Amino acid sequence: MTRSSRRLVSFVAAATVATTLAACGGGDSGGGGGGGGGSEENEASDVGITEDTIKLGAHYPLTGVAAPGYSEIPTGVQAYFDFVNANGGVNGRQIEFTYRDDAYNPTNTSQIVNQLVLEDEVFAIMGGLGTPTHNAVTDFLNSEGVPDLFVASGSRLWDDPEEKPYTFGWQPDYEIEGKIIGQYVAENFPDAKVGLFLQGDDFGEDGAAGARQFLEDQIVEEQTYVPGNTDVRPQISALQAAGADLVLGFNVPSYTALSQLTALQLGYDPQWFYSNVGSDPALVGALLARFSEGQVSDASLLDGVLTTEYIPGVDTPDNPWTQLWQRAWEESGQEGELTNFRAYGMSQAYTMVQALQSAGQNPTRDDLVAAVEQAGSEWEGPGFAPFRYSEDKHAGYSGMLVSRITGTTAEDLTPVLVTDNGDAEIEELDREATTPPESGVPDEEPIN
Amino acid sequence: MREFINLTLGGVITGAVYAAFALALVLIWRSTRIVNFAQGAMGALTTFIALSLIESGQSYWVGLVVALLAGLVLGAVIERLVIRPVEGGPELNAVIVTLGLFIAIQALISVLFGVNQRAFVAPFSTIGFTVGDSNLALSPNTLFTLGAVLLVMAGLVALFRFTRVGLAMRASAFGQEVARLLGVRVGRMLTLGWALAAVVGSLAGMLIAAEVTFVAPTFMDSLIVFGFVAAVLGGLDSPIGAVVGGLLLGLALSYVRGYFSDTLTGMAALVILVVVLLVRPGGLFSTTQTRRA
Repeated sequence: MTRSSRRLVSFVAAATVATTLAACGGGDSGGGGGGGGGSEENEASDVGITEDTIKLGAHYPLTGVAAPGYSEIPTGVQAYFDFVNANGGVNGRQIEFTYRDDAYNPTNTSQIVNQLVLEDEVFAIMGGLGTPTHNAVTDFLNSEGVPDLFVASGSRLWDDPEEKPYTFGWQPDYEIEGKIIGQYVAENFPDAKVGLFLQGDDFGEDGAAGARQFLEDQIVEEQTYVPGNTDVRPQISALQAAGADLVLGFNVPSYTALSQLTALQLGYDPQWFYSNVGSDPALVGALLARFSEGQVSDASLLDGVLTTEYIPGVDTPDNPWTQLWQRAWEESGQEGELTNFRAYGMSQAYTMVQALQSAGQNPTRDDLVAAVEQAGSEWEGPGFAPFRYSEDKHAGYSGMLVSRITGTTAEDLTPVLVTDNGDAEIEELDREATTPPESGVPDEEPIN
Repeated sequence: MREFINLTLGGVITGAVYAAFALALVLIWRSTRIVNFAQGAMGALTTFIALSLIESGQSYWVGLVVALLAGLVLGAVIERLVIRPVEGGPELNAVIVTLGLFIAIQALISVLFGVNQRAFVAPFSTIGFTVGDSNLALSPNTLFTLGAVLLVMAGLVALFRFTRVGLAMRASAFGQEVARLLGVRVGRMLTLGWALAAVVGSLAGMLIAAEVTFVAPTFMDSLIVFGFVAAVLGGLDSPIGAVVGGLLLGLALSYVRGYFSDTLTGMAALVILVVVLLVRPGGLFSTTQTRRA
């Protein structure tokens, strides 16, 4: 179905953009004679690809309200690509990673993605960050036939192979996260009165929808906040008044800090359960650190908070993946420490390298998309659970585990739980924990 | 009942914060007849200067004094260098210049202090007073905020009503020619007006920072709208009006957010503004009507 329409779309795109005419020819030969492994010569098989380079692009908030934390992600991506390049690159090609600042403003995102595609002529966009921001460019990328891989947001918008054949999600979406959290709470806190603290957009809505599948009878109050309104006293007061003794937060890190401080001010002490996005202990801890010197006596305000994880982070320094990220980070020689945001960027970069390898030696843009659809669910990477990629599904990781934050580390409370959207069952993952290859660089077979 | 009490107290506190901002707007309006859109950015800049001092180990009070002095200098310098050339021309020119200043100062803060959010620790405890087995949304720090706002309001009323300087400032703002003929040094008065307004703005920045907890270069932005609404509610001309307007707005929005939804906050503020302007175009406490001719 989508295969032929995708060819058509890319043909139309190629015909309208004069510069891609040559690449079209290259694409045909790449598609026809792929699979030869290292025996063939490298060719400039599509836009953004030459005999010895591949150009990738991305947009991130490097300034503005969303910059704290998120601006570190591209430094992690860059560090891992540097590591791969130092080890020979992908099929002998060096990865050139160009990223630009959109300040988390969708208007800027449209403009800089235009620049990346039309001026910088990237082969693919990867890891574009943010729901409102990235949503502004998916139509453009799909009409131009540019692979739009591994969007850095848990929205369900990226899983739409019919309308957006070139767009793929990466992290577990907020709905399956809500389901896994909801089931855990229903099983382990069956008598809890549950309150919801939600960001007032699809992040909060999807998460709540997932949790409600299991907690409909237990939820006593639902409160939303608008990002930018920093006074959350009314919301926390309402949760307190409703008698909620377990609060699920689908919020960003600064609101984790705000909700903790506000609850402290009001003498409200429920069990907190923050979704993955809002629980980064390093960032929240840095925000709360100055308070812990004074009025908050215990240094770790987040102690005992429940959360979810789907990739290893810096709180598990013995994990072989974390050790690989540490090695790549040190070799890259960039300023600062390895953080969870950088580990996230490296995990995405690792998946990207797997995709490029699977796409074959002289891939076209469509080969890259086909590679993710056909081989993606088999890739073993840092993620605890496998990807859900197929021709009909462009959603990312299928699961996560529940953990409890203790000090600066986290203690796993469940095995890895996998599920899918809608009313799909939640099951324990039947797979050994993955480890990175000795070299630190994946080695995927080409699909054709 | 407890929720109502906490929403009321919370509303009074946010109201005091809006009022702090509105007072600075009123002061500059009263002394120069300009609405200063750069007020928020100016307050943010001095707050960041204070925050850097506090983070390097100085006490809050050192930071506060430095912020107020920095505000005094900043206000005077901006008036002399940036506003003076457009004073006396069409009023819109000066307003547009303050909009440009707003953007420029905000960028300057990012350049100097970075764009990351930083924690701002309040000078007093923010943990609510305990009544029975629960805490009220009223803490030593909120009492400090309220007290500071009321003090500034009283000071401004006294300044304009009982001092020669205040009278001269009002005269310069109203009729420069006449004031000059009567021996008022109009230029100095305008500079003084800006400098004082910037001091109040700096104080507002410090109070607001302690209430919002985390500050980034844009932390005053969301308050500009509400502070402006509060000032207009009070008639833009009256310090008491600004404080009452701020408290009314804070209470109304707190109830809207507690009993309805956070998403309605902006709309509620707009509805209040429109209704007040329809019923009393000059604001609740305005005396400008009689002065306009």
